Amino acid sequence: MGSGETPRRRLLADRLARWIVSAGGLAIIFSVLGILVFILLEVWPLTTGARVGLSQPVPLAGPRAGALLADEHRTHVAALGEDGLVRVVRTRDGAVTTTLDLLAQAQQPGQPPGEAPVREPQLLTDMDVPAGSQALAAATRDGRVLIAPIRFEITFEGQNRVVAPAIDTPVSLVLDPAGRPLRAFAAQLGDDGGATAAAVLADGSLAIVRRTAEENLMTGEVTESLERFQSRVPGAGEVADLVMDRDRRNLYGGTTDGKVLWWSLEGEPGDPQVTSAGPSPVTAAGLLIGGRSLVVGQEDGSVSVWFQVRQPDETYRLTRVRDFPALTGPVRAIAASQRDRSFLVYAANGRMGLYHSTAHRTLWTGEVPVEGGTSLAYTPKADGAYLAGGGKLEEIRIHNPHPEVTWKSLFGKTWYEGADKPEYVWQSSSGTDDFEPKLSLTPLLAGTLKGTFYSLLLAIPLGVFGAMYASQFMHPAYKRYLKPLIEIMASLPSVVLGFLAGLWLAPRVEQAMPGLILMLIVLPLFVLAAGFLWRSLPRTFRGRFRVGTEAILFIFVLAFGIWVCFQLSEPFERLVFGGNFQGWLLDATGLNYDQRNAVVVGLAMGFAVIPIIFAIAEDAFSNVPPNLVAGSLALGADRWQTVTRVVLPTASPGIFSAIMVGFGRAVGETMIVLMATGNTPIMEWNPFNGFRTLSANIAVEIPEAPQGGTLYRTLFLAALLLFIATFIINTVAELVRQRLRERYSQL
Amino acid sequence: MNPSVSQASAESVVDRARPAALSTRRTREKATGATGFFGDHRRRSELVGQSLTWLCGGALAFNVLLVLGIMILLAWNGLGYFWQRDLVEIAMKDGTKVLGEVWEIEQVPAEPGQAADTAIDRVRVKTANRDIGGLDFAWIDESAIAGRRLPAQAVLLERQEWGNFHGFMTELREGGKVVARGPEPVWERFEILHERAMERRERVEELEKGAIGDVNYEIEQLRLDRRKLEIQELPAAELQRRAAEIDRRLEERQAEYQQLADRLFKMREEMLADTLVMQTVAGETQEMPVGNVVRAVRPNDMGWLDKAGLYFSRGWEFIAADPRESNTEGGIFPAIFGTVMMVFIMSFAVAPLGVLAALYLREYAKQGLVVRLVRIAVNNLAGVPSIVFGVFGLGFFVYLIGGSLDQLLYPEALPTPTFGTGGILWASLTLALLTVPVVIVAAEEGLAAVPRIVREGSLALGATKFETIRRVVIPAAAPGILTGMILAMARAAGEVAPLMIVGMVKLAPTLPIDARPPFVHLERKFMHLGFHIFDVGFQSPNIEATTPLVFATALLLIVVVTVMNLVAISLRNHLRRKYAGSAI
Repeated sequence: MGSGETPRRRLLADRLARWIVSAGGLAIIFSVLGILVFILLEVWPLTTGARVGLSQPVPLAGPRAGALLADEHRTHVAALGEDGLVRVVRTRDGAVTTTLDLLAQAQQPGQPPGEAPVREPQLLTDMDVPAGSQALAAATRDGRVLIAPIRFEITFEGQNRVVAPAIDTPVSLVLDPAGRPLRAFAAQLGDDGGATAAAVLADGSLAIVRRTAEENLMTGEVTESLERFQSRVPGAGEVADLVMDRDRRNLYGGTTDGKVLWWSLEGEPGDPQVTSAGPSPVTAAGLLIGGRSLVVGQEDGSVSVWFQVRQPDETYRLTRVRDFPALTGPVRAIAASQRDRSFLVYAANGRMGLYHSTAHRTLWTGEVPVEGGTSLAYTPKADGAYLAGGGKLEEIRIHNPHPEVTWKSLFGKTWYEGADKPEYVWQSSSGTDDFEPKLSLTPLLAGTLKGTFYSLLLAIPLGVFGAMYASQFMHPAYKRYLKPLIEIMASLPSVVLGFLAGLWLAPRVEQAMPGLILMLIVLPLFVLAAGFLWRSLPRTFRGRFRVGTEAILFIFVLAFGIWVCFQLSEPFERLVFGGNFQGWLLDATGLNYDQRNAVVVGLAMGFAVIPIIFAIAEDAFSNVPPNLVAGSLALGADRWQTVTRVVLPTASPGIFSAIMVGFGRAVGETMIVLMATGNTPIMEWNPFNGFRTLSANIAVEIPEAPQGGTLYRTLFLAALLLFIATFIINTVAELVRQRLRERYSQL
Repeated sequence: MNPSVSQASAESVVDRARPAALSTRRTREKATGATGFFGDHRRRSELVGQSLTWLCGGALAFNVLLVLGIMILLAWNGLGYFWQRDLVEIAMKDGTKVLGEVWEIEQVPAEPGQAADTAIDRVRVKTANRDIGGLDFAWIDESAIAGRRLPAQAVLLERQEWGNFHGFMTELREGGKVVARGPEPVWERFEILHERAMERRERVEELEKGAIGDVNYEIEQLRLDRRKLEIQELPAAELQRRAAEIDRRLEERQAEYQQLADRLFKMREEMLADTLVMQTVAGETQEMPVGNVVRAVRPNDMGWLDKAGLYFSRGWEFIAADPRESNTEGGIFPAIFGTVMMVFIMSFAVAPLGVLAALYLREYAKQGLVVRLVRIAVNNLAGVPSIVFGVFGLGFFVYLIGGSLDQLLYPEALPTPTFGTGGILWASLTLALLTVPVVIVAAEEGLAAVPRIVREGSLALGATKFETIRRVVIPAAAPGILTGMILAMARAAGEVAPLMIVGMVKLAPTLPIDARPPFVHLERKFMHLGFHIFDVGFQSPNIEATTPLVFATALLLIVVVTVMNLVAISLRNHLRRKYAGSAI
C-alpha cells in the first residue's frame, strides 16, 4: 500500500482526507438542514410590517389643492386647486410642468405654466378623486359637478421617459338648477359615458343626478338621458363627506352628528339607511379597492371599516365590521391603495396611519410634518402617497409588500366583504383584480387533519394488529416473504395510489358504499368463521403446517368476503337505505355525497400509511426481550394473555412511535389527496365529501403564485408548517424509539 | 426458533408458538383440566383470545390482500390494454347497428321502488369513431340488443388523429384515382399503400426533426446573438458591423427555412395523397389519408398468434414511441426517457453527497450527543413531506440560483427564463436532497457493518485511516451504499409532488438530450412517468378513453419501482447475512 509514496505524503493525504470529509460532511448536513432556514427566510417578510419614509417636500403652487392624482412612476402629481386649475407638478423639484383647466369647456393641450389663466380663487367648493378611478372631480360655486379623467401619457425620447399629462373634456352635471354653491359631493364617471353625481345643496338636501348614455347598436348614435333625484339628509348634522362606488350603485356619507348614511342608487334612490358611528362627528370617508368596504374617520381620531352585511331577513345593513386603533387627532383624509385593501389615514395634527382592512392590521403609524393637509392620494402602484397642505407637497414612500397576512387572518376567523359573519376561508385568487384574497390556513389544516384521521382509522388497526400477529403468532419463516411485501407496499408511488383511488376506487365506492359498510361487519365474521373452521380440523392435519398458516387461508376468505359484500351491497342498500344510499344520507343526516371523498382518501392514504406503521410496530413487538415472554408463559398465561398483558405494554412506546410516524406521513402526503379529493377547501367532518390539505394546496397553487408575492410566501409558510410538524413528530417518535431500545437492552 | 420444534408440536395454535410454553401448558392443563367453573372461565377467555388472535391474523391477511389486489388490478388492466378484443357488430332492436369492442358488462340497479328483477345489464362498448359520434364509448342496454355477430371484414384503424376508427373498407384512392373497391381488394392493396405512406411519413418526420429543427435552432441562436449584441456596450461602428453580419446570416437561414418548409409541404401533400374510404356500420362514409393510419387490423379475422404478435407490437410501441393526441395515445417514450435521465442525474448528485456525509458521521465525527442529534435530524428529514422539498427547490434552485444564472449567463434571452424556470437539473437536485437521507442512512449502516477486525487489520499493517477507509471499508460497505442508492432511485422514480413544481411538463417537445451542442440540455423541461399518470388521468378531456393507457403507464412505473426495491432488499439481506454476527 502506498509503495511509491513517502510516509509524510501519506500522512498528509490522510490529514487532508480527514479535513475534506469532515468539512464536506458537515457542509452537506448543514445545507440539508439549511432547507429549513431557507424556507424561514422566504416566510419572514410576511411578518415584517410596512416601511414608510418621507422625502423632502416640494413647494406646491396655487391655492388650496383639494385633490391629488399621481402618475404610475411617481414622477408627476396632478393637483386640483380651488381655482379650477390642475397643476401638474414634477415631484423631483416641485416645478409645475403643465397646467390644465378643469373649467374650460373644450380642452386645449396642456399649457405651459407661464400662460395659465389667472382666475379668482375659490371657484370650486369641494374637490375629490372618485374612488378607484384616474379622474378628478369638483363641485362648483354655481351648483355644478365636473368630472374629468386625467391621463399621464408616456412617450420615449431615446432612453428618457417623457410624461405628458392630458385631461379629457369634463362631464358637467347640474346638481342645483338654482346655481347655488354645492357642499359635500361625490361623483363617478362610467366607462360607457354614463355618470352619476350626488351633492349636498345649500339648503342641506341631497341631489343626485344620473346621466346614462345609450349607444344604438345599429346606428352607433349615442343618446343621453338625465335623471335627477332629490333625497333628504336625516338628522341634525351636516354631511361632512360623500363617497360613491365605482359601479355607481352605492353612495355613502358621514355626518357631523356621527351618523353614517347609505343610499342605494339602484333604480330610484330613496332615503338613506342611517347607522350611528358614535357621538364623534364623521369627518372623512373613503372606499377601498373593489368599492365594497367603507372606511370612516371621525373627529376623535377613530378609524373603522364598514360594509354591507346580509341580515337574516335578506336585507342588507351597513355594518361596522372592524375598528382600528384611533389616531390622536381628527381624521381629515383617507386614501385607499389600488393594489390591495390597505389604506392611509391622515389626521389634522399630522398623525398618519397605514392599515389593512382584511388582515385588521395596523401596518404603520407615524408623524408627518404637515398640519392642515388638504388632500391625500395613494400612488397607482401603491408604493407611495402624496399629501398636500400648507403650500407643500409631501411625498410618502411606502414599502408594503405583504399587508394581508397576520396570525389572526391566517388562523382565525376573518370577516370578509360580502360575508354574513366572520369565517374561515381559503380562496387565494379570482378573475378580478379587486378580489379580496382570503388566506385562512385553517380550512387547509382541518382538511389535512381530516384526511389524516380517516387514513389512520384504517391504517392503525390494520398496521398494528397485523404487525402484532406477524411478530407474535406467526412462524418466523413467513417473515421472509412478508417483510419484502410490506416494503414493496411502502414503496408504491403515491401517484399510482392516487390514480387508482380517484379513477378506479372512487366510482366503485360510490356505487357500493353500502357494501363497504357491510364489510366492516362481514369481514371479521368471515375471519372468525374461518378460524373456527380451521380449529375444527383434525390436529394431525393442522400440525403439518407452520404456526400462522391460517392467515394465508384468511387471505382467500377475505377476498371471498369482499366479493360477497359487493354482491350484497345492492340488497343491503335496498333493505337499509331505501335503495339509494346517497339519498338516504342526505335525508337522514343532511350530508352530501361527493364521489371523491374522505372515505376514498382514507382507503388510499391508509394503504400508504399501513406499511410504515406495520414496519415500526413489528420491530417494536419483535424486539420485546424473549425472557419476558418466556416468563409470562411460564407463569401460566396463554399466548394471547402474554401478548396483551406483557408484549403490548412493553412495546407500547414503539407502537406510539409507529403511529406518530404514520401520522407524519399522512399529514404530508400530496398526490393521493390531490387526485382522490375534489380539493375544495371546506371545513366539514363529513366523511363523504372532499377537502383540501396543506400539501395539495401547495401543489395546486404554487405554480401560479408570483414569486415573492403574498400568496407565494403564504404557501412557503404552509410548507414550513408541514416541515416543522413532521420534523417534530418524527423526532419525538425517534426519541421514544431510542429510549425503548435502551429499555429493552436493560430488561 | 427452530421450525422443526414448532412443527412437531401439534397441540394448538396458541401453544405451539414457543416451545417453552408447551410443557407449561400441558402440565397446567393436567392440573386444572377438571375443575368446573374455573375451567370454563379459562376456556372462555382462551376462546376470546383465540378469536382476537384470528382477527389480528385477519388484519395481516387484509394487508397482504391489499398489496396483492393492487398488483393484480394494475397488471390486469395495464397488460390488458394492449390486447385486441373482437369487434362485435351489435344489431339493436330499433334496427340500428353498433360496431365496437365490448369492454364491460355492468348490472344497473333497479330504480328505487321497483322489484329487484328489473335490474338490467348494460354493456359498455368502445365504438371509437370520435370524429363522427363525438364519444369513444357507448352504454347499451342488454334488453335493446337484437343480435351480435363478428364480421370478419370489420377493420380497426389506429389513426394519428381522432383516435381509433371502426368500420369497413370500401375504396382506396391513389392520388384521387380509385384503385380498389370492396373490402377484400382494398384490404390487400391497402397494405402496400400504407407501407409506402409510412415510409413517407418517416421522411417527413425526419425532415421536421432534422433539417428544419436545425434551421429553427440556428435562427433562434442568431436571434439571441443579436439580442446579446444589443445588450453589450460596443462602439457604434463595431455594433453595426456585427449586427449586419448576424442579420445577413439570419436572412440566409430564413431563406433556407422557407425552402425546407416548401419541401416539407410538398412531402406532406404526397404523404396524404392516397386516401382510404371507410364506411361505418351505420353506413356513413369517411375518407381519410392512408398516411394518417398508424395501423389497420381485422380483429375478428385474427388468430391467437396474430393477436399475440399485435400485442407485443403494441407493447413495444407503447414503450418506444412518442405520444399522440396530447398524450392520450401512442407511446410514452419521452416520459420513460425523462424519468430515467432525471434519476441518473439525481444519482450523480446524491451518491457523493450521501457517502461523504455518512463517512463523516460514522468514521470521522466524534460520536457524542451532537452527532446523535444530527443523525436523528437526518433520519427525520426522510419523513419530511416531499412537497416541502418541492417548495424549497422552487424557491432556492429555480428562482434564486436559476434566476441568478440567467442574469449572469443568458441575459439576452430574458425575460424568457433559461434556468430560471423548472427544468430537469433542478428537478434532479431537488430529488437528490429528498433522497440524500435515504443514502446517508443506508451508507452508514453499510459502514457500521464492516467488522472492526477488518479495519484493525488494515491499520495494524500500517495503513493510515484514510487508506483503510478507501481500500478496505468502502469496498466492504459498497453493497450497503448501493442498496441506499437503489432505494433512493426507486423513491425518486415514483415521486411526483415536488416535480410538479420544479420542472415537469405535460408535453415536452424535445428530449433533454439531443444532437445539438451542448447535447445535454439540463435546463429543459421534461416528461415523467408519474406526472404522466397524473396528467393524463386527471387533466385530459377524455378520461374514459385514456384510463387504460394510464393503467399501462402505472403498471410500468410500479414494475420499475418494485424491481428496484426488490434488488435493494435482496442486496441488503445478502449484506446482512454476510456480516451477521461479525459486526462491531
